[in-house]
Amino acid sequence: MSTNTVDRQALSKPPARRRGATLTQRQGRWGLLFAAPATVHIALWTGLPVIVSIILSFTNYDMLNPPEFSGIENYVTLANDPVFWKALGNNFIMAIVGIPISMLISLALAVMLNQGLRGNSIFRTAVFLPHVTATVAIAMIWLWIYSPGGNGLFNIVLSFFGLPNQAFLASPSQALASVILVTIWQGIGLKMMIYLASLQGIDQQLYEAADIDGASAVQKFFRITIPMLKPVTFFILVTSIVGNFQTFDLIYNLTNGGPANSTTVITYQIYQTAFQQFRMGLATAQSVVLLVVLVVLTIVSRKVTGGKDD
Amino acid sequence: MTDTAFPGTIDAPAGTEQQSAELKADRRQARRAKQASASKQRRISRFALAIFLIVVSVVMAMPFVWMFLTSVRSSTEIYSADMPLWPSEWHWENFTVALERAPFGIYARNSFIIAAVHTVSNLVLGSMAGYALAKIRFRGATPIFGFILASMMIPFYAIVIPEFLMIRFVPFAGGNDLFGQGGTGWYDTWWALLIPALVSPFNIFLFRQFFISTPTELMEAARIDGASEVRTFVQIMAPLIRPGMLTVALLAFEAGWNNFLWPLLVTSSTNLRTIQLGLSVFRQEAGTEFNLLMAGTTMAAVPMIVMFFFFQKQFVNGFVGSGIK
Repeated sequence: MSTNTVDRQALSKPPARRRGATLTQRQGRWGLLFAAPATVHIALWTGLPVIVSIILSFTNYDMLNPPEFSGIENYVTLANDPVFWKALGNNFIMAIVGIPISMLISLALAVMLNQGLRGNSIFRTAVFLPHVTATVAIAMIWLWIYSPGGNGLFNIVLSFFGLPNQAFLASPSQALASVILVTIWQGIGLKMMIYLASLQGIDQQLYEAADIDGASAVQKFFRITIPMLKPVTFFILVTSIVGNFQTFDLIYNLTNGGPANSTTVITYQIYQTAFQQFRMGLATAQSVVLLVVLVVLTIVSRKVTGGKDD
Repeated sequence: MTDTAFPGTIDAPAGTEQQSAELKADRRQARRAKQASASKQRRISRFALAIFLIVVSVVMAMPFVWMFLTSVRSSTEIYSADMPLWPSEWHWENFTVALERAPFGIYARNSFIIAAVHTVSNLVLGSMAGYALAKIRFRGATPIFGFILASMMIPFYAIVIPEFLMIRFVPFAGGNDLFGQGGTGWYDTWWALLIPALVSPFNIFLFRQFFISTPTELMEAARIDGASEVRTFVQIMAPLIRPGMLTVALLAFEAGWNNFLWPLLVTSSTNLRTIQLGLSVFRQEAGTEFNLLMAGTTMAAVPMIVMFFFFQKQFVNGFVGSGIK
């Protein structure tokens, strides 16, 4: 809001000043009044819990007896807990494998969709449906598709090609890959829609100018489309990582973290520790770790993409 | 495919009509010949593209088709060694059997109430805050916006335990005393399901983005005309972002309908179960009777699918128009 000298001189006359001041004051009160209900609600149900989480993470607390200060004991316990490390590792594998694949697929599909074919909307619906559908319902469907018996859809396909039945979710070596496949399938829709929206927002004059300069389609893609999509790619990457680390419904309903902890994730560990073992202090320590991991990842991915936050 | 009104042919002088007509025909012919080969090639690649996209659609939709096909299969077919891909008989009664085993009607009603309340509360509280942060300069605006942005980064799972404890220890509720002791607080009540998610920071952020692109002049004009701040907001500014409203409404409704973890934690009675939680519980009852489980899954999934079919365009337009980056 930089005003140039001319404007400032024009506005600096006393009557204009005074009117402006009262108006701003009146507005200011209303601004605060409009923002207050939501802000108070978020302070109470997000801000306060963060503080409580951090405090509780330094205590022993079982909900029956008052919390007992225990220093960094919970964090030491976590550092020595192989299952917690396994959960962290699974989250990382899911992010590193699943997110790039689904981003590439969704970018490719968005570019194809952007050609303006007829029947676009049917395609969009089909790809976006998994995102709209509840994850619990999704888990039930895939539970049946992955069914290790002969009537699971995947095993029907395998036996059609003369291949032996697989255990999928019931196998410690295949379960995580099976879960990742579901997350890819479920995640493509939203990413594709965001890419598509961004593609449609690119100024067509850029392409027209490139046409005049005799650029090929490939050149246009790599020199115009990709650079223009950089901010949106950053946005999708960060939100995907954040979303990936919050995978819970799928794990709870598909595998319960098993078999042999092969698909357990941080959120599932938090759930088990807090609401099945009632070790609230330890569970809040886990959730603080989750919080830190996500903040660090956000900063790192911001640096890697070189994008800037709005 | 635009072969009418070419810019170059419009400005022919009126006196040389015949000549210009010949010229036009000539040019058109040359252009057609050139276009023919290019368009043929383009048509082939477009055809290949269409085929590819159809294949992708089928693959993406396959799990839903499989869900539906399973929901009408007979129990014997589910267990038979050579189950046909297409059901040999259509057993619609699977749905009534599933409804008898679990009260999906109550589950759906509960989810609908939660989704509807959260939609309205997000629209009202979120748009008010978003409007203030985008359009009104007031003391505290910057820290409040910073706070909202920071809250957006907080994963729900990092605060779920304190939220649960807050529900459990609400003073003077559910037999609790002033210090939240002695009773169960809001545990297993509607309050627990409704209050914590009344407004999400992300929706406030979205509303702020929508309002930023609205013309401030309109707001100022309304003020000069003597409209109150409330009236300026309700009657002038809020209607400007209707597509944004619809986007937030759809997002809030979807979140409410599809929520699973929170109802899992704060409810225990069947009467308060949401549809997703009910489906998850039903899985234990149905066991390996996948036809019944898929019937239940269909009932849990279809409302959102129908809603998406109805509002698909607004959904997409909302995303495009809101400039989500």
